[in-house]
Amino acid sequence: MWGGARGNDNEKSKGWNVVADVGSHGLVRLKEVAEKGSTAYRWEGGAERWRRKTEMAEACQVCCGLVTMAEVATMLGRRNLLSREDNDEARKQQRQSCARLLEPACWMMVLARVVEEGKNITQGYSHVEQLLDRISNGVLAEDRRSAITELQQVVAESSSAQLAFGAMGFPVLLSVLKEERDDTEIIRGSLETLVSALTPIDAVQGQKNEIRPASMNSDILSRESENISLLLSLLSEDDFYVRYYTLQLLTALLTHFSNRLQESILLIPHGIIRLMDMLMDREVIRNEALLLLTHLTREAEEIQKILVFEGAFEKIFSIIKEEGGSDGGVVVQDCIELLNNLVRNNASNQILLKETIGFEPLISILKLHRGSAYNFTQQKTINLLHALETVDLLLMGGPEGETIKNANRLSNQTAFAQKKIIDHLLMLGAESQWAPVTVRCRALRCIGNLVIRNPQNCDALANKLVGEEPHIEPALNAILRILLRTTVIPEFVAAEYVVKCFCEKNADGQATLASTMIQPSSGSRSNPRDDGAISFGSMLLQALVTSEPNGDLEMCSRACGVLSHILRDNAYSKDRVLQVKLEESVPSLGPPESLLFRLVKYLAFAASTKTGDKSQTITAGSGDGSYIQTIILQLLAIWLADCPNAVCCFLDSPSHLTCLLERVSNPHAGVFVRGLAALVLGECVLHNNSTENGRDAFAVVDAISQKVGLTSYLAQFDELLKAFDSRFSTAVSHKPPPRSSSASMLDVHEVENHNGLDHMEDHPNLTAILDPLFVTFVRKLEAGIREEFVDVYSRAKNKASILPSGLERRDGEVDGDYIKRLKFFVENQCRDMQDLLARNSNLAEELVRSGGHGAVEISAAKPSSGRERIQIDALRNELQEARRQLEMLKSQKAKMEEEVLFYQSTSGKLESDLKSLSDAYNSLEEANHRVESELKGVKIGANLSHSEVERIRTEAREEAQKEMESELNDLLVCLGQEQSKVEKLTTRLVELGDDVEKLLEGIGDEAGLPDEDEDIEEDE
Amino acid sequence: MSYAYLFKYIIIGDTGVGKSCLLLQFTDKRFQPVHDLTIGVEFGARMITIDNKPIKLQIWDTAGQESFRSITRSYYRGAAGALLVYDITRRETFNHLASWLEDARQHANANMTIMLIGNKSDLSHRRAVSTEEGQQFAKEHGLIFMEASAKTAQNVEEAFINTAATIYKKIQDGVFDVSNESYGIKIGYGGIQGPAGGRESSSQAGGCCS
Repeated sequence: MWGGARGNDNEKSKGWNVVADVGSHGLVRLKEVAEKGSTAYRWEGGAERWRRKTEMAEACQVCCGLVTMAEVATMLGRRNLLSREDNDEARKQQRQSCARLLEPACWMMVLARVVEEGKNITQGYSHVEQLLDRISNGVLAEDRRSAITELQQVVAESSSAQLAFGAMGFPVLLSVLKEERDDTEIIRGSLETLVSALTPIDAVQGQKNEIRPASMNSDILSRESENISLLLSLLSEDDFYVRYYTLQLLTALLTHFSNRLQESILLIPHGIIRLMDMLMDREVIRNEALLLLTHLTREAEEIQKILVFEGAFEKIFSIIKEEGGSDGGVVVQDCIELLNNLVRNNASNQILLKETIGFEPLISILKLHRGSAYNFTQQKTINLLHALETVDLLLMGGPEGETIKNANRLSNQTAFAQKKIIDHLLMLGAESQWAPVTVRCRALRCIGNLVIRNPQNCDALANKLVGEEPHIEPALNAILRILLRTTVIPEFVAAEYVVKCFCEKNADGQATLASTMIQPSSGSRSNPRDDGAISFGSMLLQALVTSEPNGDLEMCSRACGVLSHILRDNAYSKDRVLQVKLEESVPSLGPPESLLFRLVKYLAFAASTKTGDKSQTITAGSGDGSYIQTIILQLLAIWLADCPNAVCCFLDSPSHLTCLLERVSNPHAGVFVRGLAALVLGECVLHNNSTENGRDAFAVVDAISQKVGLTSYLAQFDELLKAFDSRFSTAVSHKPPPRSSSASMLDVHEVENHNGLDHMEDHPNLTAILDPLFVTFVRKLEAGIREEFVDVYSRAKNKASILPSGLERRDGEVDGDYIKRLKFFVENQCRDMQDLLARNSNLAEELVRSGGHGAVEISAAKPSSGRERIQIDALRNELQEARRQLEMLKSQKAKMEEEVLFYQSTSGKLESDLKSLSDAYNSLEEANHRVESELKGVKIGANLSHSEVERIRTEAREEAQKEMESELNDLLVCLGQEQSKVEKLTTRLVELGDDVEKLLEGIGDEAGLPDEDEDIEEDE
Repeated sequence: MSYAYLFKYIIIGDTGVGKSCLLLQFTDKRFQPVHDLTIGVEFGARMITIDNKPIKLQIWDTAGQESFRSITRSYYRGAAGALLVYDITRRETFNHLASWLEDARQHANANMTIMLIGNKSDLSHRRAVSTEEGQQFAKEHGLIFMEASAKTAQNVEEAFINTAATIYKKIQDGVFDVSNESYGIKIGYGGIQGPAGGRESSSQAGGCCS
């Protein structure tokens, strides 16, 4: 129905009309039934009610079926009603028919919903609740058991019950699991119910927008890591079913929330060990455990290591052996899937496998017994594919840094080779054409990975023989035959991969293959049965040249790819193959044609078929011959690299150069064709050591710049590299996820379907060849070519002509000879000059063109005549001169103006300086004046004070004198008084008889005053 | 690939004490002065000979960082021998030994043979833990003790081989139930026959070193 909705509008509306016509009648009838039914159901009783009930149930059933359709119609109708664009007639019709359908449909839907929901609510929700209640609160063990059985059935059948259970059930059942370990039956029932609650019900899957109860329930249960440890502890129970359901439960949780589960199991002590122990259990448990462990180890490195520590490898291989190896059933597949999870990107586990058990058990899975070989069941194919994946994973090494990874890869390669895996791989890939193609491809890829960059293994492959007596041939021949003849593209790609891996960094191997490139005599060529006897090189050569010039070039292109691997970076092989001469089947007069010439012929032919008649092109199904051109050009690019002989040989025919130039300048050719042709041309310059006229580097460069133009030539490289970049960026994004899905069945078909699909985007031959290795090669080459071009332009062609010493007249040279020699010299120089001029004009033109890059019209309209050009040049020069003078004058003027300004400003400044100076002088003078007057004032002030001091002094002196005088007078008076007193007293004393002289002696020595005092005292 | 017995070892101890270097010296006979931090666990293997019997050693080198403890604990139960390593120039690594030992006793099987190794014995000028202290600790806890240097290879070979010899002796004494592989011991397919197995082992050891 949705498919119909996706068709074009016209078809849709037709379809809906039919549906509406049929539907509306039916629905009206249904509506009646339902209406009557529901009323009857409500009102009537007994038998009638039963009858109605059945009728209504039937109607509802039909109705439910129609609901989906009605929903679609409603949505469609709604959409169309919403979009108001009526311009489209078809849409209008569609709208009408939808509208007709809409009314009864909506009614029916409502009815159906009511019925459905009612059923859900009443029967589902409450029923679940009831049952849970009986389990948690029940008293009779028997009743509780039956309740749990019923619950399990309900949950297993309806998604609404799952929802209801999710909302209420977990605590009840978890507590049962925790606390009632003794009651095995109820534990079993609980676990089974939980499993059912976590298992999606198919009917629900259709409705994407609906909530998925199973996933929701897983979420609830896994959120608590406690629950996980509870479940793990149940694994130690004795009861088989308990363990069985527990494992199923854990697996269900892992499919929904693997990261969360991985983390919590890792954190539970002995969690992983407990799960590992399940591998030793009974077969059914063991198989469940295998599935669980596969989920558990997905992209979880630490868990992978712990498993291996616990001996997972030994157990896996012993189970595989028990189950019969690749002939075993799906259990073997499970085992190998687990094994792949354990070694994928896990160097540590790879080392352990190699060091402890070795690769022997793995290889023995790949062993084909000739008797059973014809019997390839699908399961066996899948088992083998998985085992080959294991081999590949081991050959790829770990994820670590380059050096460790490399060492790991090398030691794994060696270990595999020691166990002779190559025999078994060859058996699967090259010998047993009865093996399914997917297995053959995978085995071939493994062979490639086994030998890549491993000299010993390369030698081993080169020396290997396959087939049974008497049809024994070298393994590489068998692989080459597959490569050339297969009709299955993936097989071709795989075989090519082997050759590529074999040739990578294997100079000896390349040389050996190249040395066998001898054309077999025409007798054996017509006899295809002798294929086994001819050498690798001869078979390759045959494939390269047997293509009829007007026929299928597919085989030739495949062979070209192989040849490019043989020649890559190998000087010996390049020279060796250069000498290959082709015998004409019909003897012709000319010398035998070389292989290189033949290939260029094919290139030209492929180009012509492409541009010419498109219907007649290659039968390979690509519908486009350009991939053949690309492949041949790629081969030439590799061949001519660092190989002057090849360049020389290539340029032997002038038509070759033309052919390449045409490729480069042809806008219809693909980007790879143009870019690679440019690359080969560049090599003709870069690796050209020829001095022959018309074939040297100069000639090629000239041809390029004349026919293509340097700029557009060099632009080809940028485009080519850009194309490579975009190619690899998309290639990376298209890469499949690292893990192959468990639905390995799909792989088988996928690879086979590949066959047709690949042509749409890119021819597989190209995919195999244009690898990163080639891109680095191109990048390196491009830089070299650019440099070389500059070099070619910067040196003269004829080095001998610039030797001034040669101009001297030699001793004994006759005048005539001397003149002749000089003339010859001048002629040479003249030629060189012309040559240079021509090249110079080419370059100039190029320059002009690239200058006017944006305006192509201008460059197209450019004058072609030289004189005009010269005139224009002269005019341009004059103009430039005039412009220059003008500029000069302008600048002079500006300079003058500047000077004037400068002087003006200087004078202004000086004036202002002067003014300020005079001001300063004035103020100085003023100040001086003031100072002087002040000085005078000061002087006057000074005189005044002096005279006053004098006066005061005299006054003071006079006063003092006066005072002194008066005092003196007083004293004199006193003295006189005293004298008189003394006289009086002396006389008295004398009268008294006292020796006055003696008495006075002492007084005379002291001052006179004390005497006086004494006298005074005495007086008193 | 034939061997008389297979022993599983683990190497434990603080981060940076040289566990990975000891393993590299033992399996590859080389020293890498700068070693990336071990993430989770790394595996190494070598064949040795004890009592003329070829014995395969599977060695799991664990990350010393605390954040990996929950992962590395998963390896205790199934191991027959453990090398408990500390760094003689870093005292704290010696101080942590008790907690390592407790972890081991809790998660490992009781018969696990533990060898205590004081690594970096070449750096005697920076020594922070004396030999006597190491000996004392080993004696107290019933461990075998040795100082070794992953750099100079001194005692490295001996450490692994002496541990194996101890386990071998326990087998001879009947301590283990060798049929139970959960002890980290496995009887090889190669049988117990002497000389043939011995020859095989020497060639195997040579293969590992190349």
